[in-house]
Amino acid sequence: MKRNLRTSVALACLLFSLLFLGAREARPANGAKAAPIRARIGVISILTGQGAGYGEAITDGFKLARDEINAKGAVNIELVIEDSGAKQEQALAAAQKLINSDRVVAILGPTLSNEMKVVGPEANASGVPILGTSTTAKGIPQIGKYVFRNSLPESLAIPASIGAVVKKYHVRKVALLYGNDDVFTKSGFDTMKEVSGRLGLKILTVQEFQKGQADYKAQLTRIASLKPDAIFCSALYEEGAVILSQARKMGISVPFVGGNGFNSPKVVEIAKGAAEGLVVATPWFADRGTPKVKAFVARYGKAYGRKPDQFAAQAYDALYILANALERAGAADRGRLRDALAATRNFDGVLGKFSFDAGRDVEMQPVVLIVKDGKFQPFH
Amino acid sequence: MGPEWINPYHLQVASFAFINVILGVSIYVTLATGQLSLGNAGFMGIGAYAAALLSTRYGCPIPAGIVLGGLFAGIAGILVGIPSLRLSGVYLAIATLGSGEVLRAVLVNWESLTGGAVGIAAIPQMGRVLLSRAREAGFAPESIGLRNNQFIGISVFLILFVCAFLAVLFFLRLGRTRVGRAYAAIKLDEKAAEAAGIPVTYYKVLAFSQGAMLAGFAGALYAHTTSFVSPSDFTYHRAVEILVFAVFGGSEHLLGPVFGAAFLTMLPEALRSVSDYRDILYGILLVLTMVFRPQGVLDPPLLRGFARFRRKGKA
Repeated sequence: MKRNLRTSVALACLLFSLLFLGAREARPANGAKAAPIRARIGVISILTGQGAGYGEAITDGFKLARDEINAKGAVNIELVIEDSGAKQEQALAAAQKLINSDRVVAILGPTLSNEMKVVGPEANASGVPILGTSTTAKGIPQIGKYVFRNSLPESLAIPASIGAVVKKYHVRKVALLYGNDDVFTKSGFDTMKEVSGRLGLKILTVQEFQKGQADYKAQLTRIASLKPDAIFCSALYEEGAVILSQARKMGISVPFVGGNGFNSPKVVEIAKGAAEGLVVATPWFADRGTPKVKAFVARYGKAYGRKPDQFAAQAYDALYILANALERAGAADRGRLRDALAATRNFDGVLGKFSFDAGRDVEMQPVVLIVKDGKFQPFH
Repeated sequence: MGPEWINPYHLQVASFAFINVILGVSIYVTLATGQLSLGNAGFMGIGAYAAALLSTRYGCPIPAGIVLGGLFAGIAGILVGIPSLRLSGVYLAIATLGSGEVLRAVLVNWESLTGGAVGIAAIPQMGRVLLSRAREAGFAPESIGLRNNQFIGISVFLILFVCAFLAVLFFLRLGRTRVGRAYAAIKLDEKAAEAAGIPVTYYKVLAFSQGAMLAGFAGALYAHTTSFVSPSDFTYHRAVEILVFAVFGGSEHLLGPVFGAAFLTMLPEALRSVSDYRDILYGILLVLTMVFRPQGVLDPPLLRGFARFRRKGKA
């Protein structure tokens, strides 16, 4: 028995050493050019598995911004991109690698709020600024003073869209519908409920569904029987599009207000005509006419062959915000970068004017959009 | 500042490997009696939530919370085990998988206690707590040349190493006792074991609850390592992952799942440089294992072979 133990430990050691032979990455040598501030920035994103679509848009946004910033010359950024596979353990391990092996000056990402809740405390304890570009749930910057985000939190987006709909359609009674087993949709629902209460709306019913559900007729029949003025729905686009098309087929024609999950061209693609009348609030609107947005959309399209979505735009702006803070910090130093980052005010990006508030959370004006004639258009 | 070879990244990966080793042992214990249980993800969830709630809500000290987390999961194991062990084979696998999903549904829906899908954040991380305790006691890690995060990494690594080591050692020794012999007898032939006077039901429930307790223990450690838990951590994906430790490493000997857990935790990290192909390589490895070593990488004949080889080498 003992021998067995010893030999198998030896075998295991051998296998692991083989494993790690390939693990050391070559570190690019730092050239000694004096002029630009050289900064190595870590990115944690979902490159494989479920959610890799978000990760691709996000990393594309970073890469485009990096190339532009480096071409300008004041700051020279090297990105170290690591995969989290949408798993918290891997996100944490990736963060440790970036912080300790690659010695990055700041981290962008991770993609999901769940991952941020694991990675954020570690980065904060290690004194590395971390900027989430797609983490919208409650309580992210509250993790610690090194934790930032530039993604529009639901607590800003949902009041804007609900406010606009209530004003225009004189909504008094609403029905709420949400996915209760997903952190993103659940947190969106909590905000919807809170905002409804604040506006004095009467909540007729709250209906729940689960991820991957295909049939929503039970919930929708109940909602239809109560005749609400509007439906507030917190769902990801996969479920959201199906809900919309089933609701319209059942003759529910009242406006739908969607959470951030609805804010995807995929909703219109899947639900087609049924998506008409869907209202969302978003930080990003590709058809906004400003020169900055036009130039970004053109360059992104040229590089990657498609229109940038919200995630790409947020990532793109995030790296610019970071580069801007680096310039003000004057050196690639974690502590000084944090202070410069926290002092970001009225940054002019493709998402519009952006500031961090005193709690390192987002201050910006979302755009309210409605689906009309088969595409998202500004809601007036 | 600080010895550079101590890298918190490597310590972090090793820490997760140790947690997974405990999970690997937990599935082996039930497999040792010939029962396939897929409920370990659910039991892990019970342990993790129990520990998280005890420390965040009731101010319970972390070690006590971890032990209680394991005990709660063990009790749940007994409760689930007694009715479901009337089943065997694939039926038991499905029943335990189902009970794991039921537990997850409870975590999602019992919002007042568990916070629902949003999960529980800001669970005290054991390394950081230890660091602040050490500082209060007047000990600065700098005095022995360590940075803060190195100190945290090392303390978590050591705690988890000791836990995993003790779990492996305990169950290695258990194999040589009356209990272990009874497990082996039941695995070989349940009817013969019963005829030989072994209380089969008792031992099966015992093995099942031991597995559940270990899984809960691992879950509690996980909660205090990542400082965040949510129901999506304990889906059937996790159950399958734990099963793969045993399938890949080998389920005939305790060291099989231990090896499988450690290797499969480190593999994705080692493959970071080719991140786009990680999943493919992982899949190919599993397929190759199934083709060439369907019993798993480590099995008793192989281990005996190594032992003989060593003896010859010594002589």
